[in-house]
Amino acid sequence: MQTNMGSSVNAVAVSYIYAVRYGYSDAVIHNDNQLRIFPRVGEGQFEPTAEIWSVPSGRGVDYNDRFGNRVRRLRVIEPHSTFVVAAAGRVRLSNEAPSAVDVPIADLQSLPESFEYASISPLVDPDSLTDLAHEVGAGDQFLVSAVTSITEWVFGNILYRRGTTSVATTAREVLSAGEGVCQDKTHLALGLLRALKIPCRYASGLLTGQRGETHSWVEFYHPVAGWLGADPTRGILFPPARDYVKFSVGRDYTDVSPVSGSFLSTGGAQDVAAIAEVRFEDTTFSLGDALDLLEGAYVVQSEVSTLSPPTERPERH
Amino acid sequence: MTAAANTVTEDFYNEWHDYEGNLRSHYMPLSAALTSFNQGDLAARWREARKQVNLDAMTFYLEPGAYRNMPTDFVPRIIPFEHWQSIAAGVSQRLRAINRFLAELYGGAQDVVPDEVIYTSHHFYPEFQGFVPPRNVFVHIYGIDLVHMGGGRYLVLEDNLRIPSGISYQLKSVGLTSQLFPEFGRSYDILPYDIRDAYLSMFRSLTDNPDPVCALLTDGKYGSAFFEHRFLSDFLGIPLVEGTDLYIGPDGCVYARTLDVDLRIDVIYRRVEDLDLFVPGLSEAYLNGKVALVNGMGTGAADDKLVFLWVPQMIEKYLGEVPVLEQARSYNLADLDDRRYVLENLQDLVVKSRQGYGGLDVFVMPDLGEGYKAQVADRILQNPLMFIAQETLDFSQHMVFNEQDLLLNPHHIDLRVFAVQGGDGTVTVFPGGLTRVAQSGSRITNNSSGGLCKPTWVVR
Repeated sequence: MQTNMGSSVNAVAVSYIYAVRYGYSDAVIHNDNQLRIFPRVGEGQFEPTAEIWSVPSGRGVDYNDRFGNRVRRLRVIEPHSTFVVAAAGRVRLSNEAPSAVDVPIADLQSLPESFEYASISPLVDPDSLTDLAHEVGAGDQFLVSAVTSITEWVFGNILYRRGTTSVATTAREVLSAGEGVCQDKTHLALGLLRALKIPCRYASGLLTGQRGETHSWVEFYHPVAGWLGADPTRGILFPPARDYVKFSVGRDYTDVSPVSGSFLSTGGAQDVAAIAEVRFEDTTFSLGDALDLLEGAYVVQSEVSTLSPPTERPERH
Repeated sequence: MTAAANTVTEDFYNEWHDYEGNLRSHYMPLSAALTSFNQGDLAARWREARKQVNLDAMTFYLEPGAYRNMPTDFVPRIIPFEHWQSIAAGVSQRLRAINRFLAELYGGAQDVVPDEVIYTSHHFYPEFQGFVPPRNVFVHIYGIDLVHMGGGRYLVLEDNLRIPSGISYQLKSVGLTSQLFPEFGRSYDILPYDIRDAYLSMFRSLTDNPDPVCALLTDGKYGSAFFEHRFLSDFLGIPLVEGTDLYIGPDGCVYARTLDVDLRIDVIYRRVEDLDLFVPGLSEAYLNGKVALVNGMGTGAADDKLVFLWVPQMIEKYLGEVPVLEQARSYNLADLDDRRYVLENLQDLVVKSRQGYGGLDVFVMPDLGEGYKAQVADRILQNPLMFIAQETLDFSQHMVFNEQDLLLNPHHIDLRVFAVQGGDGTVTVFPGGLTRVAQSGSRITNNSSGGLCKPTWVVR
């Protein structure tokens, strides 16, 4: 996949903004996070610009993780009881609809992608889903056809419902509950695909053309076409790059969480509000826009799973 | 004849005797001193020594409500001087290279350790980018864990750069032995050292105040190493303070509350990790150059068990030298080739949690049942960046006196050596160290995991 063809390909420019606010029940002494809110470069995304704000500002350093995501490690040592992180910028997205010929799943087994992306991960244990995977895949030996069956099954059989699952819900738990949000549907689809030994990854980002929250979907590895999308929340196969501003990819949510880390406080986390918007127009979003948008954001009470106090470490000996 | 070896094991290098059970020559005078006791006298003296450990409250604290005495085996370990010379050179070299690495890291210029490794280190602090600590010294007190493979070949297992503990047990076990078993050392020329002078000179070298005030900051009597904090405060003659005794004044400096006038503190020998939790604003005072901290903040970025893999490259790059001490061969599980190798050879390796301490979350696979293999493999696959793997080392054993049957039994031992680096960059390595003894049959020597300690001498 080339990254230097942005102006020549059939692409559309979008402006994006994302903001999250954490409220705490007491003063936080330090807050140490990894932010994965830079648009990825390549794979249908070109020439991204990115600005990241935090309040209090803290100090950060940027690096690339092993999945190729740009990450900001940010530590805040100013005492605070509210913490805001926001990101905004522009990016050009390919309009082209990907397509791929079908290939036997067996062709994938010796690829390095299979080693990294078809094993157990913190929230996805493929072995716990083997029976269902074979039932849904109906013994399918071909890649695209198996991905199609699984994506449609998750879309049709898992009810979209907020508030019953958390960021720590596993793929197996999603199956038992029969409902969840995009993260949950993505995890279940990943688990079913991996149970069939298909390398696949969790993609995290924003849906274009709307205001809402962050989104997640599946990418599976095709030996000729590379990484292709499948969106079990929207029931769409091979969505074009223009559907999303993609921030990061990984094995499951724990690798790609937009904001993850720990804080030190005598109190706990109280609430989290998050909001995102992507417009098909050229807009320069500011921190003020982010704060305004947060006023109307959906608030989740005490979502402590993404931010938890560090365990006390006794002195080394 | 008493204190005979219980069994001669052929499996591991034993520092006390060779594979045929013949006493090594540097232990002959010590063995003779031991055997000159009659059984009753030896047992009585041993009991008295243990009582002294109790009276001195030489303790180690495992978890709330679980104080315990630091079990001590009074039969010294003897390190021959020629072994010591290369240990001391290697420790000093490593400390200088690591300090240089930290200066480059926080100066924004390090390119030895991969970005993802160093920037995911729990104790890398981005707010210290561009900060230069007093005299550009980050690590003032260094504790390095070594194992002896036999024949003078010592390997590095771990570096401790944040708040390494144990030096009080080194002093105390040697002191109690010379006090209660003076016969043991009579025929030896034991290398002397002065920890008090080295610490106090180092404190003074970090500040412009010719008559600086230094204090030891403790997490209090419920902390695991409170004995050591109290001991060192007495030994060094510096006040022992808790977080609530200190505050940041309007001038940004650090003050200690006293009954009359509050005292400005120049140097804090800190024995706590999260400084701002104990003294709000302390890290800012440090960043503003208002106080020197021993050790500096952010040093933990280099004692991360994964960053350890690159210390030999730091020595080559920053000092232009060949490493004097070898280190245990280790594997980076974020690297796909290393991960594959580790999963295929798991039964032969040691797996450690990257952020672990005190021997917790250490899996010595050859010593664990086959059933653990799948569990550990799953944990590695789930969080490859959270673990490292190392070759399993058949390191040395020593003889430990059993008070019940008055016999000596083989146990694995390691060695934590302490060194001090002053503001002028000079490094002092204290001869000997703290020898930690694993429980019988185990290779885990950490005191947090229930080990003993042994007095350690370097003899000429």
